[in-house]
Amino acid sequence: MNIQFKKGVLEICVLVLATRGDRYGYELAVKISEKFEVAVGSVYPLLNRLTQDGYFSTYLRESTEGPPRKYYHLTPDGWSHMRKLIAEWENFTQAVNEIVEEGLKP
Amino acid sequence: MTTRDRYMLELESMLKVIPEAQRKEWLYDYYIHFQQAVENGQSEEDAARELGDPRSIANELLLVYRVDQAETNNSFGKLSRAVFATVSLGLFNIIFVLGPYMALTAVLIALWASSVAIGIAGIGIVFESLWNRTFTIPQALSLGLITSSITILLILGLKALTSAFYKMTLKYLKFNTRIVKGNNK
Repeated sequence: MNIQFKKGVLEICVLVLATRGDRYGYELAVKISEKFEVAVGSVYPLLNRLTQDGYFSTYLRESTEGPPRKYYHLTPDGWSHMRKLIAEWENFTQAVNEIVEEGLKP
Repeated sequence: MTTRDRYMLELESMLKVIPEAQRKEWLYDYYIHFQQAVENGQSEEDAARELGDPRSIANELLLVYRVDQAETNNSFGKLSRAVFATVSLGLFNIIFVLGPYMALTAVLIALWASSVAIGIAGIGIVFESLWNRTFTIPQALSLGLITSSITILLILGLKALTSAFYKMTLKYLKFNTRIVKGNNK
């Protein structure tokens, strides 16, 4: 897939992944890289930016093994930002689909 | 030295400008990542390869930092640094970010200079007429009044325009990072 395209949807995916309870960074990074071919390391700068924008809040929690993990919690701002992005995404894909279907009509 | 140590050192050395607390926090993400990758049975070499080039990660983190700085401090120096930080992420940004930014900044500077010049011209007219009688005093005073009101209006407008430009640039930088951030695996 085109790289510019891929990076644009990463943000939506990261936000959506955190809707069902708080996630820690490694979990998010791995989940994302399973589906898209991205450098795992670039998920963290994205998480940092979303945190600075107030869409995530973070906290450390001890884990049974190893050092404490950093958890990401989706804030109310994060929820509304995510809904906005999803709405934009749906409009966009719908438009593309319509053109594709129109163009491939026999 | 292990692969993890080398990776962490390389990353850290490129993030020197970021204040220590912030830098430590951001580096911790990568430290933990290695830790967990190894726990999941991955080798450090594999984990490092998956993470990607530390230089491009450093560039992305620097951009996050610069944009935040420009957002909280409202200074053109900070804004320019944020703009320059995007340039290190790729050629695309030289054309689509730095180019327009420099052009628009030049336009703004020119507008500011012209409004100041109009103001100075107004003062000049009044003094010139006092000494050399180029215009009669009432004429000179009304000209002075007209130019100074034009200057005030221009400055008010420009102030609004400049702060709008500042906000738009930040918005665009963020939008732009979303699109071109990172490099290919």
